[in-house]
Amino acid sequence: MGSSTVHELDQDFINSFRSPATAGNRIRDLNPISFAIIMLSCSVTAIALPGPAGPAAICLLFAVLSVAAGLAKTFLPLYGKLFAVVGLILFVLRAAFLPGNHILWTVGPISISAEGIIQGLNFSLVVMAVCGAVTFFFAVTPMKNLMLALEQRGVTPRATYIILASFQAITDLGKNTKVVMDAQKSRGIETEGGMVRRTTAFLPILAPVFLAAMSQTEERALALDARAFNSRNRHSHLVSLRPVSSAEIIVVCAVALGAVLSIVGAVFIWN
Amino acid sequence: MELVSLRNVGFTYAYGDKPALTDISLTIEPGLLYGVVGLNASGKSTLCSVIRGIIPHFHHGELTGEVRIMGKDLLDWDPAELSKSIGYVFQNPFTQISGVKETVFEEIALGLENLGIEREEMIERVTVVVRELGLEALIRKNPNELSGGQRQKVAFASIIAMDADFIIIDEPTSQLDPDASEAVFGIIRQLKERGKSIILVEHKIDLMAEYADRIIVMKGGQVVMEGPARDVLVSDGLGDAGVPYPEVTELAFALARAGKPLSSVPITRAEAAQLVSDRIKEAPHAHSAL
Repeated sequence: MGSSTVHELDQDFINSFRSPATAGNRIRDLNPISFAIIMLSCSVTAIALPGPAGPAAICLLFAVLSVAAGLAKTFLPLYGKLFAVVGLILFVLRAAFLPGNHILWTVGPISISAEGIIQGLNFSLVVMAVCGAVTFFFAVTPMKNLMLALEQRGVTPRATYIILASFQAITDLGKNTKVVMDAQKSRGIETEGGMVRRTTAFLPILAPVFLAAMSQTEERALALDARAFNSRNRHSHLVSLRPVSSAEIIVVCAVALGAVLSIVGAVFIWN
Repeated sequence: MELVSLRNVGFTYAYGDKPALTDISLTIEPGLLYGVVGLNASGKSTLCSVIRGIIPHFHHGELTGEVRIMGKDLLDWDPAELSKSIGYVFQNPFTQISGVKETVFEEIALGLENLGIEREEMIERVTVVVRELGLEALIRKNPNELSGGQRQKVAFASIIAMDADFIIIDEPTSQLDPDASEAVFGIIRQLKERGKSIILVEHKIDLMAEYADRIIVMKGGQVVMEGPARDVLVSDGLGDAGVPYPEVTELAFALARAGKPLSSVPITRAEAAQLVSDRIKEAPHAHSAL
């Protein structure tokens, strides 16, 4: 329309909706709920296992799985940054401030003990294992697949829409802020420079950006209503997920059992 | 049966200081294309919102008079049922994208998903609409990254795919170039030929003259005129409401003022071409015919 170029219809793309969505990788093709259970079980196991070896192994497992899932390039640098910032800070704080009997160094009022180092290592690795589980889950699972899986298990389309739209709203707010900042700049208002200058330029635009976002939310609700979003019919789905295989169920059960056993161990054996 | 009937309808928005609609009485018959014209803030979109049931179900305020949709009082309609029975293409293309679909193809299918249409039929219907609107190049694109004009076409396609028998279209070409506007009107004509009932708000009066069966003229929240497109588009009432006449109608008026009226007043280019051609053929000296 409006163009002399006639484009061919991408039949392969259209046909892709006729079969379950696939990323061409066994890990990435796991059902989002199955994968969520696996990641949750890994987190629980990391928390329940004694000493730093367990959570360290779980962290390493995420790294290996990311390679197997073909996501190493995106996941590993992000996970590395988390380790470097969150993990290191937690470790240093614990190691520096937890009291212990075996003092290794004393720097002013701070005494670093062997117990502090072990507990700091343990705590930071547990946190990093939990962070890794969450990060890896969202690296592997497209949000739309997760929402589709939730809808298939009875979550209402309205609830899944709110979750998806909230994520999109964050992106939209960022875009709108940039547009308003550019408009301010074009009017000669200083928006760059030191922290104080950037803050004074940024704060006044927050109100209009948020008010515009609220107004758009109302219009978007109307547009959704026009698409029969509030219809009481059973909603159907253009995209389908792969059926959960027996092997997948076995893997999920095994990992969940491991988590349960580690809790039992934590309660009755090593704690 | 009347599709819509309004009797002495008035509406004031909850936070408005004056009525957006005043004493509107109107009947919409099925199978026709009604064009709604008027200056900005004349009440066109508010009228559409009343007919679609967005007022009072979504936008609150004081609604007076009687509105009946397909024989049933507007207040008795379930809003969810209204959304299935009446398609609505909104004016602002930037808020018509759901924001949760990753491709244009999925975005167009959203309404069909909500209606519970089976996957194979959904794919077929979306494919047909994509072809009709020439959206082939966009189907893989992220709807959130489209231009205003592209979003307008996608929003239009989404409503067309739902195949409601009654469609309200509020300025579908406001972001489109002339060629794309013609194409959208081409689709609207096809919808009309398929027996759809359409209410179309549009400022492009020349296109309206080509396609509308009847025209509703609004001014200051009131319907100042309603009738067959030909009668309305050559009437003084149109000019009094501040709405421009079709280009060829203005030309015919100018000729009449110059003392050389055409045999009738055209409202479309094809009619004008025919009338001028006839005049030239009839005139003994073509150079003085006009």
